[in-house]
Parts: sequence; C-alpha cells; structure tokens
Amino acid sequence: MPERPKIVLIGCAHSAGVALEELKSGAQRLPAHVEWVSIPCGGTLDELHILRAFESGAEQVMVLACYDGACRSVEGNKWAEKRVSAARALLEEAGIAGWRLAFHHIAPSMPLDLLRWIEEFREPAVAQEQPESSDREAKA
Amino acid sequence: MIVAKRKPLAEIAANLQKVNKLLIVGCNTCVAVCLAGGEKEVAVLASALRLALRQTNPTIQITQRCVERQCEEEFNEVLTEDVAACDVVLSMACGVGVQTMAEQFPDKIVYPALNTSFMGRPLERGVWSERCAGCGNCVLDKFGGVCPIARCSKNLLNGPCGGSANGKCEVDPENIDCAWQLIYDRLKRIGQLDRLLEIEPPKDWSTSRHGGPRKIVREDMVL
Repeated sequence: MPERPKIVLIGCAHSAGVALEELKSGAQRLPAHVEWVSIPCGGTLDELHILRAFESGAEQVMVLACYDGACRSVEGNKWAEKRVSAARALLEEAGIAGWRLAFHHIAPSMPLDLLRWIEEFREPAVAQEQPESSDREAKA
Repeated sequence: MIVAKRKPLAEIAANLQKVNKLLIVGCNTCVAVCLAGGEKEVAVLASALRLALRQTNPTIQITQRCVERQCEEEFNEVLTEDVAACDVVLSMACGVGVQTMAEQFPDKIVYPALNTSFMGRPLERGVWSERCAGCGNCVLDKFGGVCPIARCSKNLLNGPCGGSANGKCEVDPENIDCAWQLIYDRLKRIGQLDRLLEIEPPKDWSTSRHGGPRKIVREDMVL
C-alpha cells in the first residue's frame, strides 16, 4: 500500500482540539499520516505556521477554526480564514497548488466530520496526484 | 511613511536560481509598519523562497536579518560579516535602503524584494493611501491641507475637472475620492473658500524630478 502523504492539521484548541479529544474518547484516532498542531485560537494563526508545515514535509495542510459566533475571541476564526487565503496565494506563487491548503469551520461536536474531511482531502489528492514539478509547470 | 509591496515571488526567485548563500535583510522602519519588509515579512519570504526553489535550487542557504533603518549606513554596519559571507543580498527595504546597501557594500550583488510605491499613511488596518508626491514645493497651505499633486489623478492645481461626480474621481469612482471635492469641503470647513478664487499659476517642477536627482545640504551641519 503506497505511503499516504503527510497532512498537517492546524486548529483552534477550543473547537478542533476538543473534537480530537472526542475522537480519543470514542477509541478512535487520527490516521498515522496526519499530524496535529494546536493553536490557542484561529486568530493566532500565522501564514508562517502554514509555510513551515509545508517546509517540514507536509503535502497538505488543513486549518480548522470555529464557526462564526462561536469564537471565544469573537473574530479569531475570521482572521484564520483571511490568513489561509493569503497563505494560499503565496503558496501558489511558490508553485504549490492551492488545493493543498484547506480551511474548515469546526465545532467540538464534529469529530466524525473531521475524519471525513481528512478522508476527502486525501481523495482529491490521489485523483490529482502529480509530481510537484507538474504543479509548477501548471502555474508557469 | 514610505509604503511598499513585495514583488511577485517568481520575479524575486528568477534572480536566485544559482545563488548558494542568500542574505535577506529587512528594515524595521517604514516597510515594517506597512507590513512589507519587517522581521515577520523577512521570515515569510525566506520560507516561501525555500519552497519555491526546492526543485531548482534546493541547497540554497538563506540567512535572515533585519536592521532598524536600512537607509542609514550606521545601522547596517552590524551586517558586515553576514554580507561578506553571502553571495547575494536581497533587500526588503524601500528603494533607498536597497541603494544604501549597494553603496555601502559595493562588491556585493544587492537585489530588491519590494516595489516602493508611495509616501502615504494608514487609513485602517491593512490599508495605506498616498498623501505626498515629494514635489519639493509644498502647497498644502493653499488647498486646505489636501494635496492636489498627490491626490488628484490629474495633478490639477485649478480644479476640479469634469470627471468629478458625487465626490469621486472618474479614474476609479469606486476607490478614489475627488481631491478637489475634499479641498472644497475642507476649505469651507475652515472658512477659507475665498482661496478658490485665486488662480494658481503653472507649477515650477524644477524642485521635483524635473530638476534631476535632488540633494539637501545643511551647511551648519557639515564641516
């Protein structure tokens, strides 16, 4: 079975982090190729978090932040979404296809949705699997 | 302050395909305030370049530095060893900082990473707007503190033109205020509308770029 590409999840501790705890309490866990990075709020997300995840070998990065109205810092989720957009544009400039960076709103009660997103995140990656140089050529 | 914007990554990377040791130098003054070339932006650019070059120049070594004011040599002296150790300096300062580095380290290749755009001010977080064109002969006293050179799309000194409608400029009605509407409103507010009765003569541009590169000498500060 081919090795799955490394996925880094960067998520708010108050929503995504709790959903992950829910997973564990249900005796489930993240797939082995998925790495979890907790941040205290979506508003603390920095495009450097995303860039360095890719630099560290991640093939795909998923950012998880609260729904509108659920952020403890009021607008942290909106800042996270903005920064994901900025980071996606920069990644595309660097020759990394934009689909490799995903954003989802999440609530603590959505651990199974998270697993589904991870699965779906993988499927397009397999369907569009190309050498990285192809991404660059496509951009050029 | 001087407002700048990062160049497209491909344009920056095109100069770095055969570079082994790159030094990126930011500036913590104007371009840090406009989020174009401060310490954070240096780190982001370094990371983005490592990703962009990992197919074509994967062994490039990138050193990151940031000085307080790149347009003054004294602040750049701390970079002497780093500059000596690198092949290329990529400056994230304004054009003044880039040229200061090139003059201070004349044997080193220095490339710009930013497009220096204008002198302006922040209107809100993430938004900067031009306010001064550096024409060398300030006329803000005559126009209620609103510069027709920098803020009128046609640089009109006797405006408005026929393209002013609903306080907006015909060049971009969505985003550009008519400077002459602003001038009128401001002069009315401060009780100086009579200034608009004066005809402004053609501007002497010799104090601006038309007079060639400019220099100011304070004789009392020079021995």
